[in-house]
This record gives sequence, C-alpha cells and structure tokens, in this order.
Amino acid sequence: MFRHNSLRYAVLALLAAGALFQALTAEYFGLEILTEILILAILVLALDIVAGFGGMVSLCHGALMGVGAYTYAILSTKAGIAPPVALAASIALTGAAAWVIGAICSRSHGIYFIMATLAFGQMAYSYVFEAPIFGGDDGLGGISRLDLSFIGVDLNDSRSFALFCLAILGAVYGASVLILRSGLGRSLSGVMHNEQRMRALGLTVWRVKADVFGLSGMIAGLAGALAAQHILYISPGLLSWTVSGEALVVVILGGLGTLVGPLVGAAAFVVLKHELSAVTTYWHLVVGVILIAVVMSRANGIFGWIEARWGARIERRLADTTRKAEAKEVLTDA
Amino acid sequence: MAHDLGFWTLQALNALQLSMLLFLLSIGLTVIFGLMHFVNLAHGSLYALGAYFAASLAAVGGYWMGFFLAPVAVAGVGVLLYSGLIKRMRKSGPMAQVLVTFGLIFAMLDLTRIFWGDLALAIEVPALLDGRLAFLGVEYPTYRLFIIALGLAIFTALAFVLGRTQIGAMIRAGVDNDAMAACLGINVERLFFIVFCFGCALAGLAGAVAAPLLSVTSDMGLQILIPTLIVIVIGGLGSLKGAVAGSLIYGFVQTFGAVLAPQLASVLIYALLAAVLVIKPVGLFPAKG
Repeated sequence: MFRHNSLRYAVLALLAAGALFQALTAEYFGLEILTEILILAILVLALDIVAGFGGMVSLCHGALMGVGAYTYAILSTKAGIAPPVALAASIALTGAAAWVIGAICSRSHGIYFIMATLAFGQMAYSYVFEAPIFGGDDGLGGISRLDLSFIGVDLNDSRSFALFCLAILGAVYGASVLILRSGLGRSLSGVMHNEQRMRALGLTVWRVKADVFGLSGMIAGLAGALAAQHILYISPGLLSWTVSGEALVVVILGGLGTLVGPLVGAAAFVVLKHELSAVTTYWHLVVGVILIAVVMSRANGIFGWIEARWGARIERRLADTTRKAEAKEVLTDA
Repeated sequence: MAHDLGFWTLQALNALQLSMLLFLLSIGLTVIFGLMHFVNLAHGSLYALGAYFAASLAAVGGYWMGFFLAPVAVAGVGVLLYSGLIKRMRKSGPMAQVLVTFGLIFAMLDLTRIFWGDLALAIEVPALLDGRLAFLGVEYPTYRLFIIALGLAIFTALAFVLGRTQIGAMIRAGVDNDAMAACLGINVERLFFIVFCFGCALAGLAGAVAAPLLSVTSDMGLQILIPTLIVIVIGGLGSLKGAVAGSLIYGFVQTFGAVLAPQLASVLIYALLAAVLVIKPVGLFPAKG
C-alpha cells in the first residue's frame, strides 16, 4: 500500500512551493513550460498507478491521453457541446476505453502485456491518423479553453491556466492516493505481488486490473483534455507510441511506484528537454544516455535513489526535531 | 473493383517482398527474444545503422561492397552492445530491458544524425538488378524479386541450420529450456552471444537491402520497429515458423488491406494482433509448447 513518509511530504511541499512560485512570478515562456510539466505530471501519475502499483507496464498511455484530447476537441469544436460537458465526456470515454483495454490485456503478463498495450495504442494512433473526421495528419485547431468567468478566472491568461492545471494536479494526486489506499488499491498491490494467491483468496483478478486501468485511463484522459486546451491544437503525434515511451521514461527517471518520484521526473524531464534543445539539437542522445545510466544503476530513479540514500537519515532527523519541539512544549507548559 | 489477374499477382509479389524484408528483421529479434528472453527494442536502430553503413560503403566501393560489409559492421556494433550493455541486463526484468533499449533507440537516432547528417541518403540499385523482369505474366522490378529470393534463401538456410545441424539443435535446446541445456554441457552464454551477433548481422542485411527501396533516414528504424514486433508477437516468440508465418500475415494483410479496404488498412493489422493476443496470448507458433 502507498504510504507517505516525512521525506515524501517534504519533497511534495518543495514541489508545490516551487510550482506556485513559478506560476506567480514567471513570464510567458516560463508559464508555458510550467504548464507542460503539470500536464505531463498528471499523465505520469496515471502511469505510475498501473505500472508502479499494479505491475502493468503500459505502452498505451500516450494514446489514452490522445483519446482524451481528441474527444474534448471534437466535442467542443465540431459537435458544439459546452466545454465542461466535453471535458467530462472525454474523461469518461477515455476511462471506458482504458477499462476495455485493461480487461482484454489482464491475462497477459510481462512483455506480452507491454506488446498488447502497444498494439491498442498504435491501433488508436493509426485510426486517428487516417480518419478524415479527426483532421488526419493536419490535426485539429480552434479548440477553446474552459470558461471559468463565473468565478472571475480567465483561463485564456496563461498564468491562470497554469494555476488551474496546478490545482487539478493537486486534486489528481489526492485522488491517486485515495485510489491506492482503497480496497481496490490494496487488492491491486496484492495482485502485483502474488496473483495466484489473490485468486485463491477469491479475488476476481481481471476485474481489479480492469478497474484500476480504467481509473488510470480517466486520469490520462483528463491530462489529454488539458493538453488540448493548453496548446489549442492537437495532432495525431500525441497518440504515437513514443509519447507513451517517454511517459514511461519519466516514471522511471523519477522513481517507479513512489507517486512523488514521477512528479520529480516530469519536472526534470521537461526542464532537461528545454535546456538541452536550447544548447544542442541532439538532446535525444543525452536523454538516452541518462536513461540507460539510470536503469543500469539499479536505483529506482532520482527519487528512489534519494529515498534509499538519505530517506532513513532524514526521517530520523525530522523525528528528532519534532521530539525536541514536543519536549520544549512540555517544558514551557510546566 | 474489377482488376485482372496481373493486378493481383503484382499485389501478391508486393506483399511477398514486404514479408521477406520483415522476415530478415524479425528472425533475428525473435530468436534473441526466445533464447535470451531479451527484449531488444533497438533492433530497428540496427537496421537503420545497416542502411547507413551500406550507403557509405556503396559510395566508396559500389552496391555489393555495402551489401556484404554492412552486416559485418552491424554485427561488430552488436558485439559492442552485447559486451557493454546487454550482458549486464540479461537478468533484469522485461521493463528494465525495454527501457535500456528505448534509451539506445534515442542515443542511436542522434548518433546517426551526428555522423551522417539530417538529409536522407539514397543508394543506386546495382546495374545487375536494375530494370524489370517479366514474371508470371507481369513486369516486376528485378530488385524486388531479388529481395524475395534473398528472403527465401535465408529462410531455407536457417531452416537447415536450425533443424539439421548440431548448433541448431543447441539453439533449440536453449530456447526450450536454457537451464537444462546448460546442465547438458552446452555453453549457453556463448550461444547467446553468437545468436545475438548473427541477429544483428541479419538486421544490418535487411537495412542494406531496404536502402535502395526507401531513402535512408534516421527514423527508418523507428518506423520498422512496430511492424517487426507485431510479426514476432503474432508468430510466437523464438520460432522460425512463427517468424515466417507472422511476416507473411503482416505483409499480406497490410498490402491487400490497403487495396481492398483503404479506410481500415492500418487498423486491421493491430486489430488482428489484439485478436491473436486474446485468443492465443503466446502467438500462433511459439517455440515452447
């Protein structure tokens, strides 16, 4: 089961403070990068739930995000449905699609699971690429953002939109923790550790996997709808398997199965990408080498490494300070 | 859709040619997969590397120099990869392997761009294979017929080596049960190494052969990777029969799908893959029963 410890709380607080500071002080370009990080963070949270806590390494989460983005775009532009309804519909539809994929793939394990999800992702990619209603290769434009003017927020302002995404990320993080702590989440980690035993205990394993995959798909769909509103233009490239691969890279870079780690990974990945592409056009090479080094080092990503190296020490020190503070309180009380 | 027989023959030949190209790639990948339980996503990058080597060598010594030396050069890269990375990743889970080789794809994509630039390269078809040949009542490019013949020749050779020779029996034993094979005194580790390098050489050969048909670009490896993976997953891991069956299914579904149902063509093959995975999760002809 997922637990917070002091280190995780501290990193979360640092990340939230950093994001808030950036959102309030940055100029246009900084805000765009921040929003990109926040949306990627939502996607990798979805991926970490299935891959880190359920052992379901999915290579279709990029495609799920694309499904969310296209549903939102089509419904809000071509069908003329109000943006909030379109947002809800895109989350629901992506969740349903993910549930079906999860149910079908639930019998596969290891590399077959990866391949099966890859197949479904590519299926969505080529369908969107070919079908004329989706604009094919040209993509779709003219997407509008949610209208929050009734509470005095104009999302067309990039600062407001960044803050909006930050709020949603916070909500998604809370929801992820709740999912993982629920009976469903506990069953999921049971399935990851010993599927046979869970089945022997009377659990319907495929239902657990499909349900969690569906919930994760809803989060990915939400990330997609936000991405469509962020760039205001979408192309089939969003569904390509390399997007799913990159999301997996971010999860691994940050720390699989830690929820906090992928957030760190998302920030590190986007910043690295922008810094490197400013210096060299060969940023893929650097990212590739870093990825190989991280996986070969056998550390669980950046956050996993920090946790393994300093987690216990920081934990002890924090415990000490609280104890001292309490002792002081007791003294002053006396 | 009234097409004459010649049209269908032409399509069948196109399908066969695509199948044979995919077969050259997938046989290496599937045996590496089946024997070593190693997921090498960078196999497509080796194919691209083969095409680049062939293009550079062809510029120096003509097409045939590229054709014969590019596989050797790619096998050399395979030796480096094996001793540097893959040997250490053997015992890791599939996800770590997927990620390391995904990183390799990134790295090799940019390395080819650094060495050969961003522009697409082209290779001339050799004079011997230039032109068209009348075949089964249709005119068909000789070079494409050469690819089909090459694929069939390699298939026959591999079927002989795997089925009738001692090293073939050792490989089959290793795929079936590597621990037991090691107990029987087979140096499985060395066998892995040989098979890996040979798989790399075949990927390089596929790249060298494909180079005159397609232009040589750094993302050609990414484009071929997914079809190759589909082939081996449909066919079943580790078996020659599976690689052939998968390649033929992919080639024919893709080619005839594009002719008969252009709207559905690209989705068709993925739907087929999903169906195979649902009905027979280990593929049609897996090496292990």
